[in-house]
Amino acid sequence: MGIKNYDDLNSMEIDTLREVGSIGTGNAATALSGLLNRRVSITLPEVRIMGYNEAIDWIGGPEHVTAGVLVRISGDIGGIMLSVLPLEFVNMVLGCMLDNRVEEFEDMNEFQRSALVEVGNIMISTFINALSGLSGVTMDLTVPSLTVDMQGAILAVPMAEYGGQSDYLMTIGGNFTCDDYELPCRLLLSPEIRGLNYLLRKLGVSDG
Amino acid sequence: MANGKLVVKIADMKIAAHGEELITYALGSCLGICLQDKISKLSAMIHIMLPINMEAGRKNTMKYADTGIRETLKQMEARGSRKGNIVAKVAGGAKMFDVAPGSSLGNIGKRNIDSVHMILRSEQIRLLAEDVGGSVARTISFDPATGMVTVKSYGKPDHLI
Repeated sequence: MGIKNYDDLNSMEIDTLREVGSIGTGNAATALSGLLNRRVSITLPEVRIMGYNEAIDWIGGPEHVTAGVLVRISGDIGGIMLSVLPLEFVNMVLGCMLDNRVEEFEDMNEFQRSALVEVGNIMISTFINALSGLSGVTMDLTVPSLTVDMQGAILAVPMAEYGGQSDYLMTIGGNFTCDDYELPCRLLLSPEIRGLNYLLRKLGVSDG
Repeated sequence: MANGKLVVKIADMKIAAHGEELITYALGSCLGICLQDKISKLSAMIHIMLPINMEAGRKNTMKYADTGIRETLKQMEARGSRKGNIVAKVAGGAKMFDVAPGSSLGNIGKRNIDSVHMILRSEQIRLLAEDVGGSVARTISFDPATGMVTVKSYGKPDHLI
């Protein structure tokens, strides 16, 4: 049977998904740490089920410009995974990898952009690999795509994708800290409802 | 966020009854539809997310182009507007990420634009101007006094439509 909407999830299911998020972001943090040669850890992982406008407030307002790396997931579970990378995070990455930084997103050159795509992609694919390994579900990923624009419009991509099924945006993910310094970076998985039911069954928390 | 402006959120519509400016932020694949009665200046803005309402019960009218536009026209008519006097301006419908083909839903922005065009045509509402498609997000504000819409995008100068 399964759930029909994101807000039908019970507390045990939410706890399970939070654990999934914790393992996924934990793996992503390890990968990031290797890439940057810094100590990276995660803050408390979150599962959120938000109305559209609540989600925009949560991310920090609609108009703030940020970088987003997006990967579409297909296979046993359909979904969208987004890595939202504010300028502060971008400069940390560029500093560690290329020993440079930018004043504005507009100043990024091709080389810096591809470094950023790669970082986003590595975090996303390690998250997905961990999820796949622990649940036994197969997921295929598209090539990552980068955009720099208003974050409200970036977050609206998963909303619109599942807008016909739900009035809520569901995200599983977390924030990172690097050398004890809070990094404003978010890794968000938005699964479609059918895939979410499948995942919960595979994890043994849904009897449907 | 804005002073003296009516903020239209996602899947939302507001009518400016006393000439207040209407604004909606960060339209990506979503579309902002501005409707105005040329005679009375009664003005409305809708922020839709998807092209066609196929939900059971068709609640959430403002989430969709078809039910959003029709419901707004109905509310404007209830406030004394005649449909023949209402004109439209539209902005949004961008493609935010260039994801490889094969994605099941394709380009939502493009489908939103097509749907809005179709609904406006079938309701016989004249489309005065539009700034649609492309790959950048837009914030739009609509001044009922002039009927002009200011489009703001990241990394581009503001412009009026």
